[in-house]
Amino acid sequence: MTKTINITLKVWRQNGPQVKGRLETYHADNISTDMSFLEMLDVVNEQLTLSHREPIAFDHDCREGICGMCGAVVNGRPHGHQKGTTICQLHMRQFNDGDTIVVEPWRARAFPIIKDLAVDRSALDKIIQAGGYISANTGAAQDANNITVAQNIAEKAMDAAACIGCGACVAACPNASAMLFSGAKISHLALLPQGKPEAARRVTHMLRAMDELGFGNCSNERECEAECPKEISIVNIARMNREFIKAGFSSSVE
Amino acid sequence: MILDGKVPGGPLAQKWEKHRFDLKLVNPANKRKYKIIVVGTGLAGGSASASLAELGYEVKTFCIQDSPRRAHSIAAQGGINAAKNYPNDGDSIWRLFYDTIKGGDFRAREANVYRLAQVSNNIIDQCVAQGIPFARDYGGLLLNRSFGGAQVSRTFYARGQTGQQLLLGAYSALMRQVGMGRVTMYPRREMLDIVTINQKARGIVVRNIINGKIERHEADAVVLCTGGYGNVFFLSTNAMACNVSATYRCYKKGAFFANPCFTQIHPTCIPVHGDFQSKLTLMSESLRNDGRVWVPKDPKDKRPPTDIPESDRDYYLERKYPSFGNLVPRDVASRNSKVVCDEGKGVGETGLAVYLDFSDAIKRDGRETIEKKYGNLFAMYEKITADNPYETPMMIYPATHYTMGGLWVDYNLMSTIDGLFVLGEANFSDHGANRLGASALMQGLADGYFIIPYTIGGYLASSSFEKIDTAHPAFENSEMTARKQLDKLLSINGRRTVDDFHRDLGHIMWDYCGMSRNDDGLQKAQGMIQELRVEFWDNVLVPGKNEDFNQSLEKAGRVADFLEFAELMIIDALQRRESCGCHFNEAFQTEENEAKRDDKNYRHVAAWEFAGVDKSPVFHKEPLDFENVELSQRSYK
Amino acid sequence: MNWLTKTIGASIGKKLMMAITGLSFIGFLMAHLAGNLTIYGGKDAFNAYAQKLHTIGPVLKVAEIGLLVFAVVHVLTGVWLFYQNYNARPQKYAIKKSGGGRTVGSRTMPYTGLFLLVFVILHLSNFTFTDKSQTTIYEIVSSTFANPFYVMFYIIAMAVAAVHVSHGFWSAFQSLGLNHSKYMPIIMVLSIVFAVVVGVGFGFLPIYISFQA
Repeated sequence: MTKTINITLKVWRQNGPQVKGRLETYHADNISTDMSFLEMLDVVNEQLTLSHREPIAFDHDCREGICGMCGAVVNGRPHGHQKGTTICQLHMRQFNDGDTIVVEPWRARAFPIIKDLAVDRSALDKIIQAGGYISANTGAAQDANNITVAQNIAEKAMDAAACIGCGACVAACPNASAMLFSGAKISHLALLPQGKPEAARRVTHMLRAMDELGFGNCSNERECEAECPKEISIVNIARMNREFIKAGFSSSVE
Repeated sequence: MILDGKVPGGPLAQKWEKHRFDLKLVNPANKRKYKIIVVGTGLAGGSASASLAELGYEVKTFCIQDSPRRAHSIAAQGGINAAKNYPNDGDSIWRLFYDTIKGGDFRAREANVYRLAQVSNNIIDQCVAQGIPFARDYGGLLLNRSFGGAQVSRTFYARGQTGQQLLLGAYSALMRQVGMGRVTMYPRREMLDIVTINQKARGIVVRNIINGKIERHEADAVVLCTGGYGNVFFLSTNAMACNVSATYRCYKKGAFFANPCFTQIHPTCIPVHGDFQSKLTLMSESLRNDGRVWVPKDPKDKRPPTDIPESDRDYYLERKYPSFGNLVPRDVASRNSKVVCDEGKGVGETGLAVYLDFSDAIKRDGRETIEKKYGNLFAMYEKITADNPYETPMMIYPATHYTMGGLWVDYNLMSTIDGLFVLGEANFSDHGANRLGASALMQGLADGYFIIPYTIGGYLASSSFEKIDTAHPAFENSEMTARKQLDKLLSINGRRTVDDFHRDLGHIMWDYCGMSRNDDGLQKAQGMIQELRVEFWDNVLVPGKNEDFNQSLEKAGRVADFLEFAELMIIDALQRRESCGCHFNEAFQTEENEAKRDDKNYRHVAAWEFAGVDKSPVFHKEPLDFENVELSQRSYK
Repeated sequence: MNWLTKTIGASIGKKLMMAITGLSFIGFLMAHLAGNLTIYGGKDAFNAYAQKLHTIGPVLKVAEIGLLVFAVVHVLTGVWLFYQNYNARPQKYAIKKSGGGRTVGSRTMPYTGLFLLVFVILHLSNFTFTDKSQTTIYEIVSSTFANPFYVMFYIIAMAVAAVHVSHGFWSAFQSLGLNHSKYMPIIMVLSIVFAVVVGVGFGFLPIYISFQA
């Protein structure tokens, strides 16, 4: 049955990357518990607009937890406290009447703030550009069933490939490291026979890009794994480490 | 005007091969001298950008999101069709072609659909080579499932995230080209206008979403891959940023819009549950493989579903369509949900839902098997509704999902503006009046990987291009018009928000131009849309300024276009004096309440030419000739 | 050798150095603890162990130099990582909560590490780089532990060491890429077991000795 709650929001407002930001307080009353968190923000924004104040800028798109566009830190937890959930799928029934909810953007040197809760995550694309692919030009492929992939390997690859690139791992990491993101892509491709020919080059280049983009280092805190909306495991980071050691010491890639 | 689809001659199976030979080629050394703009980075845009750059063209790619990986193709769940016939169950290119053309209720172009079926196999090969982790058998070979009412298993899938995996494949190919410097990527850009010079598409004008700067980009050809217009209904399974603006603004510049009234309503979505709702979530069609759809026989029966005995349930799809049962095509399943809900048998708080029940499947196969197949979908359902589908039936209701209509294109995927190519959901091409499950991914990738690389070469090689730059008056004009509209939107300073108007428009479209239509309703809706449009330009409230990250302003521009486009949909729906596929006009139905086509008078594509905002568009038609299939009444009994 | 500096200078390279040096300290701790257990055998047994250790001469020197180099690498890399990690998030969160991944050990690594560095320096100056010509190692140990403040400090240091290795142990395996679904749960348990052994094994020694005195 539909229930409504009243909440107090403290939302990070910042007009641009260079200006100072601050937490501002808003009251959201009669919020249906069937709403998603972003729908609640929509309601707040409608009220702000009608009272001639600037609505809160936040990124979002598919609102079904797959595009990876949305993301904010809710009460200190990326995408909120519900496990395996993006903020667009976080529903207000997870909160209680009278709660105060603090909403902040992803914070990392590599993710400069654009406005309010929206950040620039193009660094993640740059990591992929450095090697997060299999070089297979269109038209060059052989028949699909000429390559066999054991089911358990395909499943593991899929576990890693499920990454939505939202950046929650970076936001959650005490060191703002992108190891889970990079590890997931490197694992996905290193597991598959198609990905092996350029595995050494891939891990070396992607890691170098990651380091240059200003992400932190991994110190095995496991916060990324705990907060990942797709519950991607740090086993993938270990696999990346392995791939890196192999590439660094036993391949000819420099 | 009778439109020419430029379908090549010869037998159906050889048309594409012959055409590829007939197309002129661009000399490999000359390819880098041609600039191509690709707008949109979904399956069509991502694959086209990568493939064109691989050939050596200089490509500029634009997307509205912060990264090309987020295009809404990513949300496709079920799978992708191909005529591989790996399961040995009788599939073939011909059968995939036939199923697709029949599924579209014979309102698509034969030659295009056949070509789609032909290249379907190459797509799977390409995707596997890219490392897409499709489902596999223990022996390591690819698995298929039956999907969306097909009687063969031809759907390849990667859990419930096939669209995501295919898109990430195209995205990775695109990123590779970006890394190599062959594609320049422009994310967070919204296309405002197409620029035509000497009747050729020569560039676009975009708004940088971050800082509001208007940018001009010139090229030798423009490839539009901007998806569908389902958000005209406000609530749909589309992503929030999906819009009609790019295609609609091309329409205003002379590209014809084909079959805009063909909009697919998907039967298995989570029902609406409040006014605040911003979007609808699709539950994969694959659920109908094991779930049984029912409502209580008695409208007054308000018992919880698990308390209603078998004898008091109406499994209406199984009853009416004994051979296809719960697996009837989307349009049929959707319409029947509406029918039972209109009879008052709908369930849930709003009465606008039907049950999708897995208890028999769980009894038969065990909970574990069901969990393995649909675990992620069940979890998603529970997250949204707080109901556990293992214990109580899911509630589902139809929602707008896909739009078969789009810009008119010929066999080369070129619109009526020379040099403007349209791919994927943005064009009208292959799905006719109804799209079958797992066919959208196939079409997007077919267009991008295997069709545009050939046809664009043919265009470039056979045209001459004068040298232009972005200071050309045509760019100046486009920018001025766009700027004027942005300024106007910001200056109205009225009392209603953009979303408020959009929601109203959505209600009008859903009520009168949704699953079931009639002339009175359509005419009424047309008037309502006109009134709403007038009010919008008088009373909309868009805060902030242009030179900023202003999401309200972005939305305002899109809703302004939807308010004009919606009327075009109505006009198209009124014009089509028949029912076909998803377009169901109550005046045209069989005795069994199925869509009744009029092949004599309406076996054509309706393509509309813009004549002015408050003027009636000009009607053009492309007759559809069926030389290889016999037109039959679709029957799923 | 450009490739080598590139490899070990990369983020994973640095982790690799932390892991390898860390694992060698774990090995050292095990050996050290085994040796120290001779204290329970009494004064003579302990002194004999120390004597025995010195008879292996050059090997011991090599091991000591090795440990010193490793310690320098471990500390410098740790400081470098700490600095980079701190800088990776210039603007901190107003509120940040753990999602359940962090442990006391992982959270405090740089600080426990710094504390241990201080302890090791003190420890070495007390027991290793001290004039042993007039006395035996057992006497030095027992006189040092006669000071209740030093006993307290030593016990706290051992607790800190336990916390440090509780994360360091499994973390080294993860950094080396040795994470396997079959073995990782065992390594995680061993991590805690080893931390307890280090904490209790070393931590109980000063108590035992001060009671002996």
